[in-house]
Amino acid sequence: MIMAGVLEFNGVTKEYRTLLGRRRVRALDSFTLDVQVGEIFGFLGPNGAGKTTAIHLAMGFMMPTHGSGRLLGKPFGDKKSRRRVGFLPENIALYPRRAEPLVRFYGALSGLGGDVLRHRSREVLERVGLQEDSTRNVSRFSRGMLQRVGLAQAIVNDPELLILDEPTSALDPVARVGVRELLLQARQEGKTIFLSSHLLSEVELICDRVAVLHHGKLVRLGRTADLLEGAERMQVVARGVVASCFTGAIVRNGSIVFSVPAAQQRETLERVWSLGGEVVSVNPERRSLEEIFLEVIAEPHERHIA
Amino acid sequence: MKAVFLIAINFVREQRWPILVLLLWVLLLAFLGLATDAARQREDLLFIFKQVAVYVVAFSVFFGSSAIYNDRRSRRILSVLSKSVGRQQYLSGLVIGITLACAIYCFALGLTGSWTLGQAGFQVSEVWFLMLCLIAACALAGTVALMFSTFLNPFFAAGATAAVMGIPALLSYTSGLPRLSYAVPVYSLAAAVLNSSFQSHESVTWLPIALAIGETLMFWLLSARIFSYVDIAVSVE
Repeated sequence: MIMAGVLEFNGVTKEYRTLLGRRRVRALDSFTLDVQVGEIFGFLGPNGAGKTTAIHLAMGFMMPTHGSGRLLGKPFGDKKSRRRVGFLPENIALYPRRAEPLVRFYGALSGLGGDVLRHRSREVLERVGLQEDSTRNVSRFSRGMLQRVGLAQAIVNDPELLILDEPTSALDPVARVGVRELLLQARQEGKTIFLSSHLLSEVELICDRVAVLHHGKLVRLGRTADLLEGAERMQVVARGVVASCFTGAIVRNGSIVFSVPAAQQRETLERVWSLGGEVVSVNPERRSLEEIFLEVIAEPHERHIA
Repeated sequence: MKAVFLIAINFVREQRWPILVLLLWVLLLAFLGLATDAARQREDLLFIFKQVAVYVVAFSVFFGSSAIYNDRRSRRILSVLSKSVGRQQYLSGLVIGITLACAIYCFALGLTGSWTLGQAGFQVSEVWFLMLCLIAACALAGTVALMFSTFLNPFFAAGATAAVMGIPALLSYTSGLPRLSYAVPVYSLAAAVLNSSFQSHESVTWLPIALAIGETLMFWLLSARIFSYVDIAVSVE
């Protein structure tokens, strides 16, 4: 089934110039990406990789140097498409007002009004667990609470696409679980979520697909499950053989566990059998997203400073 | 249009403390009206009135030159422009907000001036006409400052605004051609307030007010054009 892309980057390059234009830094380099309807998309990369630049380009806060992109079918910067988008910036800054009027202010900017706006504002504050604090001024809120107000203002217009830049960075574990549930519920409602995060465990848990950006280039893209269960190595569990026969094997519950390159799978199994052992299981080795991320960013990549 | 007014009202709300500080000067004028014999010390009252009146033009420049900068530095602009709000609407909100903030002050000053100067023999209708001149001057000065602040930091934006407002006045003074100051009529409008007196009732024409309104629209369009090319998420430091 071909699904429409809700967020598309087509060969987008963004260069920052210093005041006199002598030095150029390429924050994003021929970046192409297509986010599909109804998925939770994880956007990863080390600091300075260009994630926030890509998000700001999509929101129309800046113009690409080359290339183009579309947000909900309209070119980047189209204000009508932003009506259907919820955005939470990194390190959210809000006007110092009471939480509920503040969320109402942002809702009104999204085109809501009247009873719908009042009802939605209360509902979203309840969803982020701030109903008790809705009459308090946000200038007295902790960073985690501010982040939750930021999330409330992002979802107040019931957006089709949520673009979240580090949504759980300031949250405690309980609040983080709450946000995770909120995102999963949003996906069930058919919404699309574009999530930039450093919390790889979170991304691993909820994202359908992930992209890794490094020095402005897309260096890895794929389904989370496929990346985690890379077919390059296989994990073998066997019994009736001694661990010292296989490199890196450990003993667990009376069996030995070791991993081998997928290409050597067959000869390894034959060796177990020839030693009189029994193969219990052979599975693709599951790695954590953190391992994959560290591996990807350790690979040499070109850095663009002109 | 709703978004424009929301941004305008939000701006006034954000600037409530500077507006309140400005209003203290109006309070001073009201106090003098109560504490002095208005008929005998009417020239002193008029002097204070003029002085207090022109402060608002300077404040409109400060409001205009720092409005975008403050929102960009605090990154609050991102939450606003991520909604269904165009950059032109955002600027319109700021222009209306600056004018509204100055109009609040002018209204308070107009009321106080009508009362204090009115009982000393100054024509009340002229007080309100002068307030209109001030509001037009503030709208223009604030919009010019806002235009410069789309690409300069507040300090340079305020300086550039002062130059744009001052050069026509300087040329008018050196050439002896008063109409030259109408090129950017902020000075002409402020001078109307500064030259007012109990004796002469030679009122300023509506021309500089009309010009100020026209130029406000022109500078607003220019600032919207420039701002549409600005990378707003880039640090302003």
